Amino acid sequence: MIPEDLQYTADHEWIRFEGDIATIGITDYAQDQLGDIVYLQLPAVGETVEAGAVIGELESTKSVSDLFAPVSGEVVTVNEALESNPETVNSDPYGQGWLITVRVPESSGSDDLMSASAYQASIDS
Amino acid sequence: MTLAHSPLHARHLELGAKLAEFGGWEMPLEYAGGGVLAEHKAVREGVGVFDVSHLGKATVTGPGAAAYLDRCLTNALDRIGPGQAQYTLCCDDDGGVVDDLIVYLRDADDVLLVPNAANTAEVVRRLVERAPDGLTVTDRHHDFAVLAVQGPRSDETLAAIGLPVSHDYMSYTEAELGGATITVCRTGYTGERGYELVVPAASAVAAWDAIIAAGEPYAVRACGLGARDTLRTEMGYPLHGQDLSREISPVMARLGWAVGWDKPEFWGRDALLAQREAGTVPLLRGLVASGRGIARPHMAVAAGGTTVGEVTSGTFSPTLRKGVALALLDRSVAVGDEVTVDVRGRTETFVVTAPPFVQSSTR
Repeated sequence: MIPEDLQYTADHEWIRFEGDIATIGITDYAQDQLGDIVYLQLPAVGETVEAGAVIGELESTKSVSDLFAPVSGEVVTVNEALESNPETVNSDPYGQGWLITVRVPESSGSDDLMSASAYQASIDS
Repeated sequence: MTLAHSPLHARHLELGAKLAEFGGWEMPLEYAGGGVLAEHKAVREGVGVFDVSHLGKATVTGPGAAAYLDRCLTNALDRIGPGQAQYTLCCDDDGGVVDDLIVYLRDADDVLLVPNAANTAEVVRRLVERAPDGLTVTDRHHDFAVLAVQGPRSDETLAAIGLPVSHDYMSYTEAELGGATITVCRTGYTGERGYELVVPAASAVAAWDAIIAAGEPYAVRACGLGARDTLRTEMGYPLHGQDLSREISPVMARLGWAVGWDKPEFWGRDALLAQREAGTVPLLRGLVASGRGIARPHMAVAAGGTTVGEVTSGTFSPTLRKGVALALLDRSVAVGDEVTVDVRGRTETFVVTAPPFVQSSTR
């Protein structure tokens, strides 16, 4: 169920690298843990984010969860469709429910990312 | 501490429920394939079934049982007759609320109480301590399950399994279901037309299965306590421990309608009369978000840069699709005023309103 072509963080986010652009979302496990998402606070286009920093919030009917930047870079796009349809993150977390894209400088390291199998093992344990 | 379980626990596990602790009981928060929004919608538009077996059950029996309770609890029991239920409060001498509860009046000598899970032992302890000779107060927390069948299709659902549905709001009747005698009460905590069934624990699974099967034509959903909270918040119904507490009196929570002010005696009477007379205590008000903010309990509320109170309950209203909250606010704040809430460092604007936030359809 966990897409093989993505990389994952311990904070239950996924990243797809295409050239120097990283698309970021939350995993199916994360959306299930959160419950129905009703509000997202995402960074603005042009904002510079630093790996590990809190860059937004995902709020469900019952709780709030911080969104962490999995990599450092500049925010290129924000999924604006989520403003009126935040539930898309629940229904399609790896597809239409993506959150932001970030331009990542080539020198930027991403050593802490996990493969699909490593991430699966981390949530099974 | 070991958490207590409902007689329906195995059913919840089969339905993939996410569980959470409520007053010492491990109960469903939401179900797989459902979720708070879908379960909330089922109750507003069709029918939903909640297991609320964590609610307490206690009986007070013996000569003058009702008269004794009338001297203890705030509401005036002579406002109702046998076969009716009443919302009332058990207060401390200082007016703080030990618990809010429903009283089922069977007759003058036989009363069933339904307090909150976490407070049942304390309510029972107080009633036992002061009971006159000849009265018996019995904690029957584990003897019964309580199933809440709520929503505009609750009548059709219960009628399909032969249960009575025509009685008035806040009245109850006894009926047979699968050989067991159950109590069918027109009560609820959702603001919709609905029923709460008090079922002997041994018959709980059969009753649950019968209701789920009967509700199928109406897209019935098993509903967890997450949806129960969004439903009750939309109605502005207080939750003990948040909007009512030892520190938040019935006067503050604007529950004066559940107090028999003319009664000569009830626990907390002098303190509550003094609070009502003084007119200085803060009051529980409704807040509706002007933007996208969702207020949560204990967030500070400000007006004109000055703190005027604190949020006691707050969530996202699935019906209004915005944040709604209950907040204990200074008397300087009036309905219609704009206030701000500090939502984790962001300043969000809310308008002070009189609940309910969504029109009630209980009757």
